[in-house]
Amino acid sequence: MFELLGHGLLTVLQWNYLVPLFAGTLIGVVGGALPGVTITMTIIVILPFTYGLDPLQGLAAMTGVYVGGSAGGLVTACLLGIPGTPSAIATTFDGFPMARGGAPGRAIWLGVWSSFFGGLIGGLFLILVTGPLAAIALQFGPWEYFSLFVLAMAMVAGLAESSFIKGLLSTAIGLLITVIGTDPIGSVPRFTFGSEFISGGFPFLPVLIGIFAFAQIMSDIEKPAVPKTPEAVLATQPSLGVSLGVSHFKVIGEILGRPFLLLWSTVVGILIGVLPAIGGSAANMLAYDQAKKFSRHPERFGTGVPEGIIASESSNNANVGGSLVTIMAFGIPGDAVTAVMLGAMTIHGIQSGPLFVSQQPALAYGIYAAYILAHLLMVLILAAGALFMLQITRVRLAVLAPVVLVLCVIGAYALNNTMQSVYVLLIFGVFGYALVKGGFPLAPLILGLILGDQIEINLIRAIMTDDNPLLFFTRPISGALLFCAALSVALAVWQHMRHRARTAREEAPDF
Amino acid sequence: MRTVLRILAATAALAAMAMPAAAQNYPERPIKMIVPWAAGGDTDNIFRPFAPLLQKHIGQPIVIANVTGASGTVGAREAKGSPPDGYTLYAVHDYIHLVHYAGVTDVKYSDFEPICLLSATPSVLTASPKTPWKTWAELAEDAKKRPGQITVGATLGSTSHIFPALIEKAAGVKFKYVSYEGLAPRMNAILGGHVDLTDSNLTQKGKVDAGQLKFLAIAAEKRDPEAPDVPTLKELGMDIVYAVLRGLLVPKGTPAAVRAKLDEACGKAAKEAEFADAMKKQGTRVSYLNAAEYGPFLDKLDRESKVIMTELGLAKQ
Repeated sequence: MFELLGHGLLTVLQWNYLVPLFAGTLIGVVGGALPGVTITMTIIVILPFTYGLDPLQGLAAMTGVYVGGSAGGLVTACLLGIPGTPSAIATTFDGFPMARGGAPGRAIWLGVWSSFFGGLIGGLFLILVTGPLAAIALQFGPWEYFSLFVLAMAMVAGLAESSFIKGLLSTAIGLLITVIGTDPIGSVPRFTFGSEFISGGFPFLPVLIGIFAFAQIMSDIEKPAVPKTPEAVLATQPSLGVSLGVSHFKVIGEILGRPFLLLWSTVVGILIGVLPAIGGSAANMLAYDQAKKFSRHPERFGTGVPEGIIASESSNNANVGGSLVTIMAFGIPGDAVTAVMLGAMTIHGIQSGPLFVSQQPALAYGIYAAYILAHLLMVLILAAGALFMLQITRVRLAVLAPVVLVLCVIGAYALNNTMQSVYVLLIFGVFGYALVKGGFPLAPLILGLILGDQIEINLIRAIMTDDNPLLFFTRPISGALLFCAALSVALAVWQHMRHRARTAREEAPDF
Repeated sequence: MRTVLRILAATAALAAMAMPAAAQNYPERPIKMIVPWAAGGDTDNIFRPFAPLLQKHIGQPIVIANVTGASGTVGAREAKGSPPDGYTLYAVHDYIHLVHYAGVTDVKYSDFEPICLLSATPSVLTASPKTPWKTWAELAEDAKKRPGQITVGATLGSTSHIFPALIEKAAGVKFKYVSYEGLAPRMNAILGGHVDLTDSNLTQKGKVDAGQLKFLAIAAEKRDPEAPDVPTLKELGMDIVYAVLRGLLVPKGTPAAVRAKLDEACGKAAKEAEFADAMKKQGTRVSYLNAAEYGPFLDKLDRESKVIMTELGLAKQ
């Protein structure tokens, strides 16, 4: 196995494979960093170019896009507070406050190195335990998926910062938005009021960009007090040693000094990746939530703690490894990105399927090698680009805000080449801003949006397959997941109450 | 004021003159091809290799836009609403007839003009590895004993629903349908044994070779050289030949000159050896009809679809 992997690495290190891999990773990083341009879109853009290449060249380029894209989103997330891809949503929670607090370099490099380590550990899982992981994935029928998503929803209770109730409300709003449009099973229009405009529902990405970008920019404009530039912080507190440049040893030390956090986030990322249907957009939020739950100081999450960045970024790159598992084991795509990769394989006439790894070892291990090398290239590309990207923190808001908005609109339009997405972006921009003003956390809403359709589809599928509702509890995996969901809510409530009690005690002397 | 009017009139006149010229110079900019299903799916995999060939013969880039959702009707609606200028093509298969009669959408095939039929992908009745049957006969026997209990994963109201429904009718059995939209989710469900049967095609042969799926019968006129062990439904005594037929349409009102150009370019592209190769890899054969032949073919298909949907009780009033 390691012989094959070594051979794969040597193959991919040749120029004719390294160049497409590098190009793919670079394009992936750029695409990932642009809000509205998703990894799926980026990979579709490069798909036609891969027809003329040999299969491994094409797949190397695509693997590069996947890895680069999963990391690229952190740049925008940390510097602008807007997730460049849905996989970087949770990175904004702590990355952005940290960057605003005067340490953009630290935020970015924490993200980059977490992606690197998360990705590599994910790669190990991918190569060593493909079979067992894939077997777990097959055990998941509609009952298990339903219960898994219920667990995910229960977890968001932990993401709600101040008010538990507002967190739940926010989740409910997210779920409600997914109900609008044509229903996913019977194709019955719901809440469309006969309007063509909303008959297809509200596409996820424009909603996401609208809510995050617009709400973020608006609150920035309200408080024109410029965020602290690294120089300003340095001038007042030179001892902090914060600047654009960072000590990589220190950052890596920060990550590896939390081995449990890194490993657990990676495992969350892999498991979500192995299970088809939700992908990186949910993995980062769930890992973040786990980090917060296990933390000794959960109340500091959201203010710029390194744990938040490490959890989010290591999980989203590990997720890539996870979603490659099903494609390697069964030839079934786990998400839209791997679907395109699979499409590229069939166009080259490669029979994907359970025999893929044994029948095409050179190609399979070439993909593994490309996956590992892409992580190294990603770090190199971000290292070269970081100096330029960090200049963003110096740009005046009056210049930056309109540019970001234009990018968001272009991204939304390019998604389907329709104006509908742009209008959705505007509507939800205003809506998201109103929610922020009302003190509603946005993350639960986004998770509700991601999971809404899937919860509904799997619930209906389960009932269509067998009308016995007790199966949700009696099927072992499903039952265990529901039990964890109940536990998760209880834990979140307990944490909130403890936090409230503690703040009450601290405030006591003021009276 | 008068000058303004004069300018307006002149502009209008110029625009009127420019209209036929626009058709003559067609195409002057990239052409969008709406594929109403996700990238990497069966339909996408058939039109993607076709796009560069069409591009070669029409002389402008063909840009594929995957407009997905609601059983492919979101893309259909967008194609219908696009300007009829030849810059929007609509990649279609039989679902357009079915979803209309199932009452999913008011968009009809007749909202479009035909350009060409490209391909036919025979359906294959596929069983989960966790099922006990090795042959159709065993399945039929079991199905008669347990009516309404054997589950079929299908996109409701679309081809993967119609195909098993035709078998139900021919064999006098009753299945239970579970909604799994698209081939990839269906494959996940069937490998895990969460459904018993599904409609698939020869692209899934790798999984059969690995013993993870079972092909029970193919709905073609004769056995396929790629899978010679799989009997046809005709051999098994059911007069069912069923294939997913894919072609290209443009919005109604597209000028005849533009359609003629598309028709000609598609004809050349479909005859490229490269296209036949690409289709073979998709378990599909090239089945070309030009615009003049495709129109009546679609009319016939629509009439048949209506009959099938009504007979199967899937049509909405």
